[in-house]
Amino acid sequence: MVTEEEIEKVSKLMRIGIDDHKEYVEKVHMMINFFDILDSAGVESEEISMPEIPISKLREDEHIPFDDKLIERLNHYKGTYVRAPKMSS
Amino acid sequence: MTMIGLEIHCQLTNLNSKLFCSCKANYREFKINENICPVCMGLPGSLPRLNQEAVKKATMIAMALNCTIPEKIAFFRKNYFYPDSPKNFQITQLNIYGDTSVGGTGSVMIGDKKIRITRIQLEEDPGRLIYDGSSSKNQITLVDYNRAGTPLVEIVTEPDFETPHEVRDFLNILSNILTNLGVADPSLEGAMRADANISIEGGKKVEIKNIGSFHDLEKAVHFEIIRQDSLHSRNIEIIQETRHWDDRRKITVSSRSKEEDLDYRYFLEGDIPWVKIDPEIQKKLKTEMPESISSKKARYISKYNIPAQVADVLSSDKYYSDLFEDAYTESNAKEVANIITTELMGLVDTREKREVSKFTSVHLRDLADAIQSGKVSRNSSKNALHEILKSGKDLSTVISELDLGNVSDESELSRIIAQIISEEPQAVEQSKSNSQTINYLVGKVMQKTKGKADPVLTLDILKKQIGI
Amino acid sequence: MNLKISALDYVQEVKTGNISAEDFVANTIERIQNVDDKLHAFLSVNEDAINQARAIDKKIKSGEKVGDCFGMPISIKDNMCIKDSKTTCASKMLENFIAPYDATVIAKLKRQDAIFVGKVNMDEFAMGLTTEFSAYGPSKNPWNVEYVSGGSSGGSAVSVSALECVASLGSDTGGSVRNPASFCSAVGYKPTYGLISRYGLISYANSIEQIGPLTRTVKDTAFMLNLITGIDPNDDTTIDNKNEDYLSGIESGIEGKKIGIIKEMIGEGIDPAVLSATKDAIAKLEGLGATCEEISLDMVKYSVAAYYTITATEAGSNLARYDNLRYGYDFPLDGYEFNSYISKARRKFGPEVIRRMIIGGFVPSAGHSGKYFLKALKVKSKLTKEVNGAFKKFDFLISPTVPILPFKLGEKIDDPVSLFLVDINTVTANLTGKPAISIPFANSNGLPIGIQLMADSMHDKLLLQAAYALEQTVRLPEVPI
Repeated sequence: MVTEEEIEKVSKLMRIGIDDHKEYVEKVHMMINFFDILDSAGVESEEISMPEIPISKLREDEHIPFDDKLIERLNHYKGTYVRAPKMSS
Repeated sequence: MTMIGLEIHCQLTNLNSKLFCSCKANYREFKINENICPVCMGLPGSLPRLNQEAVKKATMIAMALNCTIPEKIAFFRKNYFYPDSPKNFQITQLNIYGDTSVGGTGSVMIGDKKIRITRIQLEEDPGRLIYDGSSSKNQITLVDYNRAGTPLVEIVTEPDFETPHEVRDFLNILSNILTNLGVADPSLEGAMRADANISIEGGKKVEIKNIGSFHDLEKAVHFEIIRQDSLHSRNIEIIQETRHWDDRRKITVSSRSKEEDLDYRYFLEGDIPWVKIDPEIQKKLKTEMPESISSKKARYISKYNIPAQVADVLSSDKYYSDLFEDAYTESNAKEVANIITTELMGLVDTREKREVSKFTSVHLRDLADAIQSGKVSRNSSKNALHEILKSGKDLSTVISELDLGNVSDESELSRIIAQIISEEPQAVEQSKSNSQTINYLVGKVMQKTKGKADPVLTLDILKKQIGI
Repeated sequence: MNLKISALDYVQEVKTGNISAEDFVANTIERIQNVDDKLHAFLSVNEDAINQARAIDKKIKSGEKVGDCFGMPISIKDNMCIKDSKTTCASKMLENFIAPYDATVIAKLKRQDAIFVGKVNMDEFAMGLTTEFSAYGPSKNPWNVEYVSGGSSGGSAVSVSALECVASLGSDTGGSVRNPASFCSAVGYKPTYGLISRYGLISYANSIEQIGPLTRTVKDTAFMLNLITGIDPNDDTTIDNKNEDYLSGIESGIEGKKIGIIKEMIGEGIDPAVLSATKDAIAKLEGLGATCEEISLDMVKYSVAAYYTITATEAGSNLARYDNLRYGYDFPLDGYEFNSYISKARRKFGPEVIRRMIIGGFVPSAGHSGKYFLKALKVKSKLTKEVNGAFKKFDFLISPTVPILPFKLGEKIDDPVSLFLVDINTVTANLTGKPAISIPFANSNGLPIGIQLMADSMHDKLLLQAAYALEQTVRLPEVPI
């Protein structure tokens, strides 16, 4: 059972302010319950695999500047800084 | 027993581009937010592209630290929110699905003591925060992303250190290894950073974060041991905590980090396939690696008869060993080593001095040859060295401009010696019976020639003229 | 002017001078103006499209070299970056985001003189299969506007089906191209993972998603693939297809080919009309000389749970960057502390995105990863093995694209798990990286039914040959709008 507290904790972890946690509990609970079916898949011994790439196909180490003044297209402040809110110490 | 473990972050400053994009790896020369692109800014739709050379260089570091090399390396996402991290996750490495970071377990010897390496991983550096505003109330945070994505190698050790001194020795060895590999310049500001974990007998483990240089790392470790010892002696419990190194006050301070935030939800980075580092590639990388410090040292001793202590100093600093390698010949190797270790080291001991110095290996070779052939005295060679460092002029120009050359013209020297003999009849007479007195006469000649007389030739002519 | 022509016909007509690009594009824009109030396929329309078409006509007249698209109007799902254009992902979070660069597919199509007639609707950040989760309102099914268009590339399917463009690019994470193609009677294609560059596609679940074309005909899909596939220096996950020509030999037929019928995809919960259409398709394929046989893929019943676990995890991470600091919408940060600011800023996400991000924080978290995320990855591995095994025996696998008919707007929006199950037939191709196509096949009481064919990795060309063969057996009614 996913509790309201858990939803609150995770929403905090994911940095999403939610006013009414109850509103999410039911649906999230349904969804996560549905995932319990994975327990019966019998896959414990399976290995995890990923696509592979040879080292020679990786990007060459070359400096190529971006062809645009990117910062001017983004939020900027006091010249070309990006501004963030104050940090809690 | 005191146990100290280190996590060292070392930027691969000698690469051309960042870890996942083609912006410049060495961001120091740029104006604020000028060294950025959609990839290192994590713009929607951008994808990381792994730098081939970064993988190779990181693997070389792992090899130099005697680490196991995995067949495949994998990248993971470490998820956390912070304004210096444009994607709000960091691409890094982990060993949760087998060994997949660039280096597995390894070791480094400090003298007779073995320091075990836990792992080595390749990851991206975040941007830089600048705090603005007069008080914490109206503080704002400014971000410069030029550094974001700079290739970083993290070296994690086991808690095998017992003293700050061992930490310092390890850092020196590590700096030398990294410099020798040509992967990084540890003297660049911010290129080397570290975290340390420290526990003393009977106390909990304390982590020290945010140590901005090797120099401060030793200080931080030292401070923290004293702090913990002092708590211990007063029977105050040492709690498990994270502390930060206060760069300005040179102390560690407790940081109120929120434990709940430390769930990084690590998982595989799907945008980067696993990179195969098969045995063939490992072999190739090994052949591309520069000669190791220990192998250089052994060669200097056995091939050129250089004393072990001199060879040690010479081989461990890449700047000096490069100079040596370029300057020595079969006949002058010992003299070249001698000039470097007795004269040069005091003059170019910092990065800044090396940068402004005009001294080259050609100067070094000429100087060694000139000393060996008696063209210039050891004494005068020091003056020549100073002048070359400043002006970069070649040795023969310096000798003639400063009039440093030995007086080796026989008729000129004969004339001076004849004069000395006439001025010092008593000494001349004594020298015929007491061989020591001749040195007094040589000294008189040196005085007259301001030390430039060729000492061998002087003795020769003196003996001839006196008739002994 | 007949707007219901295929891409290949369009190119032919413009090339031979029968029609001008300008006329066709102008008529297309007019069509959008006439029908899109009802359908809501578009989020933004390219104001400059007619001028661009005129420039291409000029190039043609002057005998200059013209790209293969000859000004063909294409719509683009609003999660692909077109330089200097708004790219919203149908989210309020990216309301004002102007892309500073072109996605690779966009750059390739620009070089071929395609015209992007507009950006089309989708579920917010591609999370959904009805477009009801678009922050800008749902698209409507042109076959019956009370019904969902399918999704998440609903705008793409609607715009192709309702003649608001000749072809479209969508993205397919778990069926997001094939599902709306099936619901709106278009061809929808999910290529082998890595065949098309994802650079410039805004990530939802990057390890399994692909860009894919939606077109009127199978040949048009092959034509589009010729333009946008291939290795890309900006995407390390792309694979080299050696400049394969997907059009050549497309009429080769399927005689002697072996087709597996996936048992788990025609079982419980399937609509009888869909089942009978599937049986009909199998019979047609057998009539063309293929042999069909049932096969069971055990892991399919776990595939949807694995799919949502993996996608939520990746989405939780991929969407973390939207903190409103570097770009985003207008929301001043004065007076806020960092965490409280971004937590508040991120409230702009819609409820489905928030739900999935909560799940994406939950399933890979330190305490739960072993139970959910790791198991999901293992199901993915085992499913891939099973499917690879099936392709040792069969050339293709067949199933209905979606086991049910299009449903009414609002019908399932409050029942996330019943929505999950709509994906049961499509997620396997994503989890295993295999190519899959949805072909318009039947029509039940005015609602389209699509048939899905799947092939082994890198057998995209063969898959298109089979799809073409099946397509030739079909005659479907005209779209009633």
